Amino acid sequence: MTAIATPRVATARRIGTTLRIHAANPWAIVYTPWLILMGVFLLNFSIWHLVLRAAGDRGVNPDAFHYNGGVSWVLFYMVVVAVQAMNQTFSFVVGLGATRRDYFLGTAVLFVGLSLMYGVGIAAFAGLERATDGWGVSGWFFAPWTFATMPLWEVAVVYTLVMLFMFFGGSTVAAVFVRWGANGIILFFASVAVLIVASLYAITQLEAWDAVGQFFSGRDAIQLALMSLVVTVAAGFVGYALMRRATPKG
Amino acid sequence: MTAVIEVTDLARTYGKVAAVSDVSFSIEENSICGLLGRNGAGKTTLMRLVTGQEFASAGEIRVFGENPVENAGVLARTCFVRESQVYPDGFRGKHVLRAAAHLFPNWDADYAARLVDEFRVPLDRRMKKMSRGQRSSVGVIIGLASRAELTLLDEPYAGLDAVARELFYDHLLRDYSENPRTIVLSTHLIDEAARLLEHVLVVDNGSLLMDAAADDLRGTAVTLVGSHNSVERFATGRPVLGWESIGGLSSVTLTGLSDADKADAVAAGLELAPVSLQQLIVSRTRGAQEA
Repeated sequence: MTAIATPRVATARRIGTTLRIHAANPWAIVYTPWLILMGVFLLNFSIWHLVLRAAGDRGVNPDAFHYNGGVSWVLFYMVVVAVQAMNQTFSFVVGLGATRRDYFLGTAVLFVGLSLMYGVGIAAFAGLERATDGWGVSGWFFAPWTFATMPLWEVAVVYTLVMLFMFFGGSTVAAVFVRWGANGIILFFASVAVLIVASLYAITQLEAWDAVGQFFSGRDAIQLALMSLVVTVAAGFVGYALMRRATPKG
Repeated sequence: MTAVIEVTDLARTYGKVAAVSDVSFSIEENSICGLLGRNGAGKTTLMRLVTGQEFASAGEIRVFGENPVENAGVLARTCFVRESQVYPDGFRGKHVLRAAAHLFPNWDADYAARLVDEFRVPLDRRMKKMSRGQRSSVGVIIGLASRAELTLLDEPYAGLDAVARELFYDHLLRDYSENPRTIVLSTHLIDEAARLLEHVLVVDNGSLLMDAAADDLRGTAVTLVGSHNSVERFATGRPVLGWESIGGLSSVTLTGLSDADKADAVAAGLELAPVSLQQLIVSRTRGAQEA
Protein backbone atom coordinates (compact mmCIF):
# COMPACT_ATOMS: atom_id res chain seq x y z
CA MET A 1 0.00 0.00 0.00
CA THR A 2 1.42 3.30 -1.08
CA ALA A 3 -0.10 6.70 -0.84
CA ILE A 4 -1.42 8.15 -4.08
CA ALA A 5 0.78 10.51 -6.06
CA THR A 6 -0.74 12.73 -8.71
CA PRO A 7 1.18 13.44 -11.92
CA ARG A 8 1.49 17.08 -12.97
CA VAL A 9 -0.74 17.97 -15.87
CA ALA A 10 0.31 20.73 -18.25
CA THR A 11 -1.96 23.67 -19.05
CA ALA A 12 -2.48 22.57 -22.65
CA ARG A 13 -3.73 19.15 -21.50
CA ARG A 14 -6.09 20.74 -18.98
CA ILE A 15 -7.53 23.05 -21.65
CA GLY A 16 -7.94 19.98 -23.86
CA THR A 17 -9.85 18.35 -21.00
CA THR A 18 -12.46 21.12 -20.99
CA LEU A 19 -12.69 20.80 -24.75
CA ARG A 20 -13.27 17.05 -24.51
CA ILE A 21 -15.91 17.47 -21.84
CA HIS A 22 -17.78 19.88 -24.12
CA ALA A 23 -17.47 17.30 -26.88
CA ALA A 24 -18.52 14.40 -24.61
CA ASN A 25 -22.05 15.01 -25.84
CA PRO A 26 -21.64 16.25 -29.44
CA TRP A 27 -25.37 16.45 -30.08
CA ALA A 28 -25.92 19.89 -28.60
CA ILE A 29 -23.00 21.58 -30.33
CA VAL A 30 -22.57 19.75 -33.64
CA TYR A 31 -25.21 17.24 -34.72
CA THR A 32 -28.39 19.06 -33.73
CA PRO A 33 -27.47 22.45 -35.30
CA TRP A 34 -26.48 20.79 -38.60
CA LEU A 35 -29.59 18.61 -38.65
CA ILE A 36 -31.86 21.58 -38.04
CA LEU A 37 -29.99 23.69 -40.60
CA MET A 38 -30.47 20.92 -43.17
CA GLY A 39 -34.13 20.69 -42.17
CA VAL A 40 -34.63 24.41 -42.65
CA PHE A 41 -32.87 24.18 -46.02
CA LEU A 42 -35.06 21.29 -47.19
CA LEU A 43 -38.17 23.23 -46.17
CA ASN A 44 -36.97 26.23 -48.16
CA PHE A 45 -36.13 23.99 -51.08
CA SER A 46 -39.67 22.55 -50.99
CA ILE A 47 -41.18 26.04 -50.83
CA TRP A 48 -39.16 27.14 -53.87
CA HIS A 49 -40.55 24.21 -55.81
CA LEU A 50 -44.04 24.93 -54.55
CA VAL A 51 -43.76 28.54 -55.73
CA LEU A 52 -42.40 27.46 -59.12
CA ARG A 53 -45.26 24.96 -59.52
CA ALA A 54 -47.82 27.61 -58.60
CA ALA A 55 -46.26 30.17 -60.95
CA GLY A 56 -46.34 27.63 -63.78
CA ASP A 57 -45.57 29.03 -67.22
CA ARG A 58 -45.53 32.61 -66.02
CA GLY A 59 -42.34 31.83 -64.07
CA VAL A 60 -40.88 33.97 -61.28
CA ASN A 61 -38.51 36.90 -61.17
CA PRO A 62 -34.94 35.67 -61.66
CA ASP A 63 -33.99 37.03 -58.21
CA ALA A 64 -37.13 35.77 -56.42
CA PHE A 65 -35.16 33.32 -54.25
CA HIS A 66 -32.17 35.54 -53.59
CA TYR A 67 -33.31 36.79 -50.22
CA ASN A 68 -33.30 34.24 -47.46
CA GLY A 69 -32.53 34.38 -43.75
CA GLY A 70 -32.78 30.68 -43.00
CA VAL A 71 -29.09 30.30 -42.29
CA SER A 72 -29.17 33.02 -39.64
CA TRP A 73 -30.99 30.53 -37.43
CA VAL A 74 -27.78 28.65 -36.72
CA LEU A 75 -26.05 31.93 -35.84
CA PHE A 76 -28.58 32.68 -33.12
CA TYR A 77 -28.57 29.09 -31.94
CA MET A 78 -24.92 29.62 -31.02
CA VAL A 79 -26.05 32.19 -28.45
CA VAL A 80 -27.99 29.36 -26.82
CA VAL A 81 -24.91 27.13 -26.90
CA ALA A 82 -22.87 29.94 -25.32
CA VAL A 83 -25.45 30.49 -22.57
CA GLN A 84 -25.57 26.74 -21.83
CA ALA A 85 -21.78 26.65 -21.69
CA MET A 86 -21.63 29.44 -19.12
CA ASN A 87 -24.58 28.27 -17.09
CA GLN A 88 -24.53 24.48 -16.92
CA THR A 89 -21.22 23.27 -18.25
CA PHE A 90 -19.38 25.82 -16.13
CA SER A 91 -21.07 24.52 -12.98
CA PHE A 92 -20.38 20.94 -14.02
CA VAL A 93 -16.72 21.29 -14.96
CA VAL A 94 -15.68 23.75 -12.24
CA GLY A 95 -17.86 21.78 -9.81
CA LEU A 96 -15.81 18.69 -10.61
CA GLY A 97 -12.57 20.54 -9.93
CA ALA A 98 -11.28 22.43 -12.98
CA THR A 99 -10.05 26.00 -12.56
CA ARG A 100 -12.16 28.78 -14.01
CA ARG A 101 -9.18 29.79 -16.13
CA ASP A 102 -8.79 26.35 -17.72
CA TYR A 103 -12.52 26.16 -18.25
CA PHE A 104 -12.62 29.57 -19.92
CA LEU A 105 -9.62 28.90 -22.17
CA GLY A 106 -10.96 25.48 -23.17
CA THR A 107 -14.36 26.96 -23.92
CA ALA A 108 -12.79 29.80 -25.94
CA VAL A 109 -10.91 27.23 -28.02
CA LEU A 110 -14.21 25.36 -28.50
CA PHE A 111 -15.93 28.55 -29.65
CA VAL A 112 -13.18 29.29 -32.17
CA GLY A 113 -13.27 25.69 -33.41
CA LEU A 114 -17.04 25.65 -33.78
CA SER A 115 -17.03 29.04 -35.53
CA LEU A 116 -14.47 27.79 -38.04
CA MET A 117 -16.37 24.54 -38.59
CA TYR A 118 -19.68 26.29 -39.20
CA GLY A 119 -18.11 29.17 -41.17
CA VAL A 120 -16.18 26.87 -43.50
CA GLY A 121 -19.04 24.36 -43.62
CA ILE A 122 -21.63 26.92 -44.64
CA ALA A 123 -19.21 28.35 -47.22
CA ALA A 124 -18.75 24.83 -48.61
CA PHE A 125 -22.50 24.44 -49.01
CA ALA A 126 -22.56 27.92 -50.59
CA GLY A 127 -19.99 26.60 -53.09
CA LEU A 128 -22.25 23.67 -53.88
CA GLU A 129 -25.14 26.10 -54.17
CA ARG A 130 -23.25 28.13 -56.78
CA ALA A 131 -22.04 25.04 -58.67
CA THR A 132 -25.63 23.84 -59.01
CA ASP A 133 -26.82 27.32 -59.99
CA GLY A 134 -28.88 27.65 -56.82
CA TRP A 135 -29.92 24.01 -56.47
CA GLY A 136 -31.32 24.17 -59.99
CA VAL A 137 -33.89 26.83 -59.14
CA SER A 138 -31.75 29.94 -58.52
CA GLY A 139 -32.38 29.52 -54.81
CA TRP A 140 -29.78 31.09 -52.55
CA PHE A 141 -29.90 29.72 -49.04
CA PHE A 142 -26.34 29.42 -47.74
CA ALA A 143 -25.04 32.61 -49.37
CA PRO A 144 -28.08 34.77 -50.07
CA TRP A 145 -28.38 38.53 -50.48
CA THR A 146 -25.03 40.38 -50.62
CA PHE A 147 -23.20 37.13 -49.88
CA ALA A 148 -24.18 35.88 -53.34
CA THR A 149 -21.52 38.01 -55.01
CA MET A 150 -18.76 37.51 -52.46
CA PRO A 151 -15.87 35.11 -53.04
CA LEU A 152 -16.37 31.90 -51.06
CA TRP A 153 -13.43 32.53 -48.75
CA GLU A 154 -15.02 35.83 -47.77
CA VAL A 155 -18.29 34.04 -47.06
CA ALA A 156 -16.40 31.68 -44.75
CA VAL A 157 -14.61 34.54 -42.99
CA VAL A 158 -17.77 36.60 -42.45
CA TYR A 159 -19.77 33.64 -41.08
CA THR A 160 -16.88 32.65 -38.82
CA LEU A 161 -16.51 36.18 -37.45
CA VAL A 162 -20.25 36.67 -36.90
CA MET A 163 -20.36 33.32 -35.14
CA LEU A 164 -17.45 34.27 -32.89
CA PHE A 165 -19.31 37.46 -32.03
CA MET A 166 -22.42 35.44 -31.13
CA PHE A 167 -20.40 33.05 -28.96
CA PHE A 168 -18.42 35.60 -27.00
CA GLY A 169 -21.20 38.18 -26.82
CA GLY A 170 -23.66 35.49 -25.70
CA SER A 171 -21.30 34.02 -23.13
CA THR A 172 -20.55 37.42 -21.65
CA VAL A 173 -24.25 38.18 -21.20
CA ALA A 174 -24.61 34.70 -19.69
CA ALA A 175 -21.71 35.45 -17.35
CA VAL A 176 -23.59 38.56 -16.18
CA PHE A 177 -26.51 36.25 -15.39
CA VAL A 178 -24.31 33.73 -13.58
CA ARG A 179 -22.85 36.49 -11.42
CA TRP A 180 -25.86 38.71 -10.73
CA GLY A 181 -28.94 36.77 -11.79
CA ALA A 182 -32.03 38.24 -13.45
CA ASN A 183 -31.48 41.69 -11.95
CA GLY A 184 -28.03 41.82 -13.51
CA ILE A 185 -29.51 41.00 -16.93
CA ILE A 186 -32.19 43.69 -16.59
CA LEU A 187 -29.60 46.27 -15.61
CA PHE A 188 -27.30 45.14 -18.41
CA PHE A 189 -29.89 45.46 -21.17
CA ALA A 190 -31.20 48.71 -19.71
CA SER A 191 -27.65 50.11 -19.89
CA VAL A 192 -27.26 48.90 -23.47
CA ALA A 193 -30.57 50.55 -24.43
CA VAL A 194 -29.57 53.82 -22.76
CA LEU A 195 -26.20 53.70 -24.51
CA ILE A 196 -27.79 53.16 -27.93
CA VAL A 197 -30.32 55.97 -27.47
CA ALA A 198 -27.59 58.24 -26.14
CA SER A 199 -25.40 57.63 -29.18
CA LEU A 200 -28.35 58.16 -31.54
CA TYR A 201 -29.05 61.40 -29.73
CA ALA A 202 -25.40 62.44 -29.95
CA ILE A 203 -25.21 61.67 -33.66
CA THR A 204 -28.35 63.70 -34.32
CA GLN A 205 -27.15 66.56 -32.14
CA LEU A 206 -23.81 66.66 -33.95
CA GLU A 207 -25.58 66.31 -37.32
CA ALA A 208 -23.24 63.46 -38.06
CA TRP A 209 -25.65 61.07 -39.77
CA ASP A 210 -24.02 61.62 -43.17
CA ALA A 211 -20.63 60.73 -41.77
CA VAL A 212 -22.05 57.61 -40.13
CA GLY A 213 -23.75 56.60 -43.36
CA GLN A 214 -20.55 57.10 -45.34
CA PHE A 215 -18.58 55.15 -42.78
CA PHE A 216 -20.76 52.07 -43.18
CA SER A 217 -21.62 52.29 -46.88
CA GLY A 218 -17.96 52.74 -47.74
CA ARG A 219 -17.18 49.34 -46.28
CA ASP A 220 -18.03 45.87 -47.47
CA ALA A 221 -19.30 42.97 -45.39
CA ILE A 222 -15.87 41.58 -44.64
CA GLN A 223 -14.57 44.90 -43.32
CA LEU A 224 -17.61 45.26 -41.08
CA ALA A 225 -17.22 41.67 -39.88
CA LEU A 226 -13.57 42.33 -39.09
CA MET A 227 -14.60 45.36 -37.07
CA SER A 228 -16.89 43.12 -35.00
CA LEU A 229 -13.74 41.31 -33.92
CA VAL A 230 -12.91 44.28 -31.70
CA VAL A 231 -16.21 43.87 -29.86
CA THR A 232 -15.78 40.08 -29.76
CA VAL A 233 -12.34 40.28 -28.17
CA ALA A 234 -13.53 42.91 -25.69
CA ALA A 235 -16.51 40.69 -24.77
CA GLY A 236 -14.08 37.82 -24.24
CA PHE A 237 -12.01 39.80 -21.75
CA VAL A 238 -15.09 41.08 -19.91
CA GLY A 239 -16.53 37.55 -19.81
CA TYR A 240 -13.32 36.18 -18.34
CA ALA A 241 -13.17 38.93 -15.72
CA LEU A 242 -16.77 38.13 -14.70
CA MET A 243 -16.17 34.41 -14.57
CA ARG A 244 -13.07 34.66 -12.42
CA ARG A 245 -15.36 35.45 -9.49
CA ALA A 246 -18.31 33.24 -10.42
CA THR A 247 -19.23 30.23 -8.30
CA PRO A 248 -20.65 26.99 -9.70
CA LYS A 249 -24.30 26.33 -8.91
CA GLY A 250 -25.53 23.49 -6.77
CA MET B 1 1.83 13.64 9.96
CA THR B 2 1.22 16.49 7.59
CA ALA B 3 -1.95 18.47 7.24
CA VAL B 4 -3.66 18.31 3.84
CA ILE B 5 -6.21 20.97 4.74
CA GLU B 6 -5.44 23.88 7.05
CA VAL B 7 -8.18 26.41 7.69
CA THR B 8 -7.58 29.51 9.80
CA ASP B 9 -10.23 31.98 11.00
CA LEU B 10 -12.31 31.25 7.94
CA ALA B 11 -15.53 33.19 7.33
CA ARG B 12 -17.99 33.36 4.47
CA THR B 13 -20.87 35.81 4.60
CA TYR B 14 -23.67 36.36 2.11
CA GLY B 15 -24.93 39.85 2.77
CA LYS B 16 -25.83 39.75 6.44
CA VAL B 17 -25.96 35.97 6.66
CA ALA B 18 -22.86 34.24 8.00
CA ALA B 19 -22.70 30.79 6.38
CA VAL B 20 -19.33 30.10 7.97
CA SER B 21 -17.82 32.17 10.73
CA ASP B 22 -14.45 32.02 12.43
CA VAL B 23 -13.68 28.39 11.66
CA SER B 24 -10.21 26.93 12.17
CA PHE B 25 -9.18 23.30 11.81
CA SER B 26 -6.75 21.06 10.03
CA ILE B 27 -7.15 17.63 8.49
CA GLU B 28 -4.29 15.17 8.50
CA GLU B 29 -3.03 13.28 5.49
CA ASN B 30 -4.45 9.79 4.88
CA SER B 31 -7.38 9.87 7.24
CA ILE B 32 -11.15 9.68 6.96
CA CYS B 33 -12.80 12.70 8.48
CA GLY B 34 -16.51 13.12 9.07
CA LEU B 35 -17.92 16.60 8.56
CA LEU B 36 -21.15 16.49 10.50
CA GLY B 37 -23.89 18.92 11.33
CA ARG B 38 -27.52 19.75 10.74
CA ASN B 39 -29.00 20.96 7.47
CA GLY B 40 -27.75 24.44 6.69
CA ALA B 41 -24.98 24.19 9.27
CA GLY B 42 -22.38 25.17 6.67
CA LYS B 43 -20.95 21.78 5.66
CA THR B 44 -21.36 22.26 1.92
CA THR B 45 -20.12 25.87 2.06
CA LEU B 46 -17.02 24.68 3.92
CA MET B 47 -16.32 22.04 1.27
CA ARG B 48 -16.88 24.54 -1.52
CA LEU B 49 -14.45 26.92 0.16
CA VAL B 50 -11.83 24.21 0.57
CA THR B 51 -12.09 23.33 -3.13
CA GLY B 52 -11.86 26.95 -4.26
CA GLN B 53 -15.38 27.01 -5.68
CA GLU B 54 -16.52 29.57 -3.16
CA PHE B 55 -14.56 32.65 -2.12
CA ALA B 56 -13.70 33.29 1.52
CA SER B 57 -14.85 36.56 3.08
CA ALA B 58 -12.06 36.37 5.66
CA GLY B 59 -9.45 33.97 6.87
CA GLU B 60 -7.11 31.58 5.15
CA ILE B 61 -7.36 28.17 3.49
CA ARG B 62 -4.37 26.00 2.64
CA VAL B 63 -4.79 22.75 0.73
CA PHE B 64 -1.56 20.82 0.16
CA GLY B 65 0.06 23.96 1.55
CA GLU B 66 -1.36 26.28 -1.10
CA ASN B 67 -4.37 28.50 -1.68
CA PRO B 68 -6.84 26.30 -3.61
CA VAL B 69 -8.57 29.13 -5.50
CA GLU B 70 -7.80 28.82 -9.23
CA ASN B 71 -4.91 26.54 -8.35
CA ALA B 72 -4.75 23.82 -11.01
CA GLY B 73 -2.01 21.91 -9.18
CA VAL B 74 -4.11 21.62 -6.02
CA LEU B 75 -7.41 20.95 -7.78
CA ALA B 76 -5.94 18.14 -9.90
CA ARG B 77 -5.20 16.31 -6.64
CA THR B 78 -8.69 16.98 -5.31
CA CYS B 79 -12.05 15.41 -6.07
CA PHE B 80 -15.24 16.98 -4.75
CA VAL B 81 -18.46 15.08 -5.22
CA ARG B 82 -21.66 16.64 -4.05
CA GLU B 83 -25.27 15.71 -3.99
CA SER B 84 -26.40 18.80 -5.85
CA GLN B 85 -23.89 18.59 -8.70
CA VAL B 86 -25.19 20.30 -11.85
CA TYR B 87 -25.06 18.32 -15.12
CA PRO B 88 -25.35 19.85 -18.59
CA ASP B 89 -28.65 19.21 -20.40
CA GLY B 90 -28.62 15.98 -22.31
CA PHE B 91 -25.66 14.54 -20.42
CA ARG B 92 -26.05 10.82 -19.78
CA GLY B 93 -24.27 8.74 -17.17
CA LYS B 94 -21.63 7.69 -19.67
CA HIS B 95 -20.89 11.32 -20.60
CA VAL B 96 -20.34 12.18 -16.95
CA LEU B 97 -17.93 9.30 -16.42
CA ARG B 98 -16.13 10.17 -19.66
CA ALA B 99 -15.71 13.74 -18.38
CA ALA B 100 -14.42 12.49 -15.03
CA ALA B 101 -11.92 10.23 -16.79
CA HIS B 102 -10.46 13.28 -18.56
CA LEU B 103 -10.49 15.45 -15.48
CA PHE B 104 -8.82 13.22 -12.88
CA PRO B 105 -5.21 12.25 -13.57
CA ASN B 106 -5.44 9.05 -11.43
CA TRP B 107 -8.78 7.86 -12.87
CA ASP B 108 -9.10 4.05 -12.80
CA ALA B 109 -11.42 3.13 -15.67
CA ASP B 110 -11.55 -0.60 -14.82
CA TYR B 111 -12.49 0.13 -11.26
CA ALA B 112 -15.16 2.59 -12.43
CA ALA B 113 -16.62 -0.06 -14.76
CA ARG B 114 -16.77 -2.58 -11.92
CA LEU B 115 -18.50 -0.06 -9.66
CA VAL B 116 -21.03 0.73 -12.41
CA ASP B 117 -21.93 -2.97 -12.44
CA GLU B 118 -22.17 -3.31 -8.70
CA PHE B 119 -24.19 -0.13 -8.18
CA ARG B 120 -26.33 -0.96 -11.24
CA VAL B 121 -26.06 2.51 -12.76
CA PRO B 122 -27.93 2.92 -16.07
CA LEU B 123 -25.17 4.71 -17.97
CA ASP B 124 -27.33 5.34 -21.02
CA ARG B 125 -29.92 7.25 -19.04
CA ARG B 126 -29.90 11.04 -18.92
CA MET B 127 -28.74 12.38 -15.56
CA LYS B 128 -31.99 14.35 -15.29
CA LYS B 129 -34.05 11.18 -15.67
CA MET B 130 -32.11 9.20 -13.07
CA SER B 131 -33.48 8.68 -9.60
CA ARG B 132 -31.81 10.47 -6.73
CA GLY B 133 -30.12 7.23 -5.71
CA GLN B 134 -28.80 6.59 -9.20
CA ARG B 135 -27.40 10.11 -9.41
CA SER B 136 -25.76 9.59 -6.02
CA SER B 137 -24.27 6.33 -7.31
CA VAL B 138 -22.66 8.21 -10.20
CA GLY B 139 -21.19 10.62 -7.66
CA VAL B 140 -19.91 7.79 -5.47
CA ILE B 141 -18.27 6.13 -8.49
CA ILE B 142 -16.52 9.38 -9.40
CA GLY B 143 -15.39 9.84 -5.79
CA LEU B 144 -13.89 6.35 -5.60
CA ALA B 145 -12.48 5.86 -9.12
CA SER B 146 -10.90 9.33 -9.28
CA ARG B 147 -8.38 8.15 -6.64
CA ALA B 148 -7.74 11.77 -5.76
CA GLU B 149 -5.32 12.42 -2.92
CA LEU B 150 -7.99 14.55 -1.31
CA THR B 151 -11.56 13.37 -1.83
CA LEU B 152 -14.50 15.32 -0.46
CA LEU B 153 -17.87 13.63 -0.48
CA ASP B 154 -20.85 15.80 0.38
CA GLU B 155 -23.87 13.68 1.34
CA PRO B 156 -22.63 11.08 -1.14
CA TYR B 157 -25.39 8.57 -0.57
CA ALA B 158 -28.55 10.66 -0.48
CA GLY B 159 -31.32 8.42 -1.78
CA LEU B 160 -29.20 5.27 -1.85
CA ASP B 161 -30.81 2.11 -0.53
CA ALA B 162 -29.29 0.16 2.35
CA VAL B 163 -27.61 -2.37 0.04
CA ALA B 164 -25.94 0.35 -2.00
CA ARG B 165 -24.86 2.18 1.15
CA GLU B 166 -23.20 -0.97 2.53
CA LEU B 167 -21.55 -1.43 -0.84
CA PHE B 168 -20.24 2.11 -0.63
CA TYR B 169 -18.84 1.68 2.91
CA ASP B 170 -17.14 -1.57 1.92
CA HIS B 171 -15.62 -0.12 -1.22
CA LEU B 172 -14.53 3.03 0.54
CA LEU B 173 -12.74 1.09 3.30
CA ARG B 174 -11.17 -1.42 0.95
CA ASP B 175 -9.98 1.13 -1.59
CA TYR B 176 -8.81 3.43 1.18
CA SER B 177 -6.63 0.70 2.67
CA GLU B 178 -5.20 -0.17 -0.75
CA ASN B 179 -4.79 3.44 -1.91
CA PRO B 180 -4.53 5.60 1.21
CA ARG B 181 -5.78 9.11 0.75
CA THR B 182 -7.49 11.87 2.65
CA ILE B 183 -11.25 11.60 2.68
CA VAL B 184 -13.70 14.15 4.02
CA LEU B 185 -17.24 12.84 4.26
CA SER B 186 -20.31 14.82 5.21
CA THR B 187 -23.35 12.83 6.17
CA HIS B 188 -26.54 12.76 8.18
CA LEU B 189 -26.30 9.03 8.83
CA ILE B 190 -23.75 9.39 11.58
CA ASP B 191 -24.10 5.96 13.20
CA GLU B 192 -23.85 4.18 9.89
CA ALA B 193 -20.70 6.02 8.93
CA ALA B 194 -19.26 6.05 12.45
CA ARG B 195 -17.13 2.96 11.92
CA LEU B 196 -15.42 4.63 8.95
CA LEU B 197 -14.57 7.87 10.68
CA GLU B 198 -11.24 8.47 12.31
CA HIS B 199 -11.79 12.13 12.95
CA VAL B 200 -14.92 14.19 13.42
CA LEU B 201 -15.66 17.83 12.75
CA VAL B 202 -19.07 19.06 13.79
CA VAL B 203 -20.36 22.38 12.53
CA ASP B 204 -23.44 24.16 13.71
CA ASN B 205 -24.73 27.52 12.53
CA GLY B 206 -21.53 28.11 10.63
CA SER B 207 -19.26 27.57 13.62
CA LEU B 208 -17.08 24.65 14.53
CA LEU B 209 -18.58 22.83 17.50
CA MET B 210 -16.31 19.80 17.78
CA ASP B 211 -12.94 18.83 16.37
CA ALA B 212 -11.78 15.53 17.79
CA ALA B 213 -10.62 12.02 17.04
CA ALA B 214 -13.64 9.75 16.76
CA ASP B 215 -12.28 7.33 19.36
CA ASP B 216 -11.73 10.12 21.87
CA LEU B 217 -15.26 11.39 21.33
CA ARG B 218 -16.82 8.01 21.89
CA GLY B 219 -15.12 7.83 25.28
CA THR B 220 -16.06 11.32 26.41
CA ALA B 221 -19.73 10.85 27.04
CA VAL B 222 -21.65 8.30 28.95
CA THR B 223 -25.30 7.80 29.81
CA LEU B 224 -26.25 7.02 33.40
CA VAL B 225 -29.54 5.36 34.18
CA GLY B 226 -31.08 5.03 37.62
CA SER B 227 -33.73 6.32 39.95
CA HIS B 228 -34.60 9.95 39.50
CA ASN B 229 -33.11 11.00 42.83
CA SER B 230 -29.78 9.23 42.50
CA VAL B 231 -29.34 10.47 38.93
CA GLU B 232 -30.05 14.03 39.97
CA ARG B 233 -27.72 13.79 42.96
CA PHE B 234 -24.88 12.53 40.77
CA ALA B 235 -25.41 14.87 37.84
CA THR B 236 -25.67 18.12 39.76
CA GLY B 237 -22.71 20.32 39.01
CA ARG B 238 -21.51 18.21 36.08
CA PRO B 239 -21.73 19.08 32.35
CA VAL B 240 -25.05 17.56 31.25
CA LEU B 241 -25.69 16.91 27.57
CA GLY B 242 -29.13 15.41 27.82
CA TRP B 243 -31.73 14.41 30.34
CA GLU B 244 -34.71 12.09 30.07
CA SER B 245 -37.19 10.85 32.63
CA ILE B 246 -39.79 8.14 32.42
CA GLY B 247 -41.75 7.49 35.61
CA GLY B 248 -39.31 7.25 38.47
CA LEU B 249 -36.40 6.43 36.16
CA SER B 250 -34.07 8.99 34.71
CA SER B 251 -31.20 8.85 32.30
CA VAL B 252 -28.63 11.56 31.93
CA THR B 253 -25.85 11.96 29.41
CA LEU B 254 -22.70 13.48 30.84
CA THR B 255 -19.34 14.43 29.44
CA GLY B 256 -15.94 14.61 31.01
CA LEU B 257 -16.31 11.68 33.39
CA SER B 258 -13.04 10.19 34.63
CA ASP B 259 -12.71 6.51 35.41
CA ALA B 260 -12.98 7.39 39.11
CA ASP B 261 -16.22 9.27 38.38
CA LYS B 262 -17.59 6.25 36.58
CA ALA B 263 -16.71 4.03 39.54
CA ASP B 264 -18.51 6.48 41.81
CA ALA B 265 -21.57 6.32 39.58
CA VAL B 266 -21.62 2.53 39.71
CA ALA B 267 -21.22 2.71 43.49
CA ALA B 268 -24.23 5.08 43.59
CA GLY B 269 -26.32 2.37 41.95
CA LEU B 270 -26.38 3.89 38.47
CA GLU B 271 -26.11 1.92 35.27
CA LEU B 272 -23.57 3.04 32.67
CA ALA B 273 -24.41 2.90 28.98
CA PRO B 274 -22.18 3.93 26.08
CA VAL B 275 -23.24 6.88 23.97
CA SER B 276 -23.20 6.49 20.19
CA LEU B 277 -21.50 9.12 18.10
CA GLN B 278 -24.88 10.13 16.72
CA GLN B 279 -26.46 10.59 20.16
CA LEU B 280 -23.45 12.55 21.32
CA ILE B 281 -23.56 14.89 18.35
CA VAL B 282 -27.31 15.33 18.49
CA SER B 283 -27.19 16.27 22.15
CA ARG B 284 -24.22 18.55 21.61
CA THR B 285 -25.81 20.44 18.71
CA ARG B 286 -29.06 20.67 20.60
CA GLY B 287 -27.18 21.98 23.61
CA ALA B 288 -25.45 24.57 21.46
CA GLN B 289 -28.81 25.77 20.22
CA GLU B 290 -30.22 26.18 23.71
CA ALA B 291 -27.14 27.87 25.10
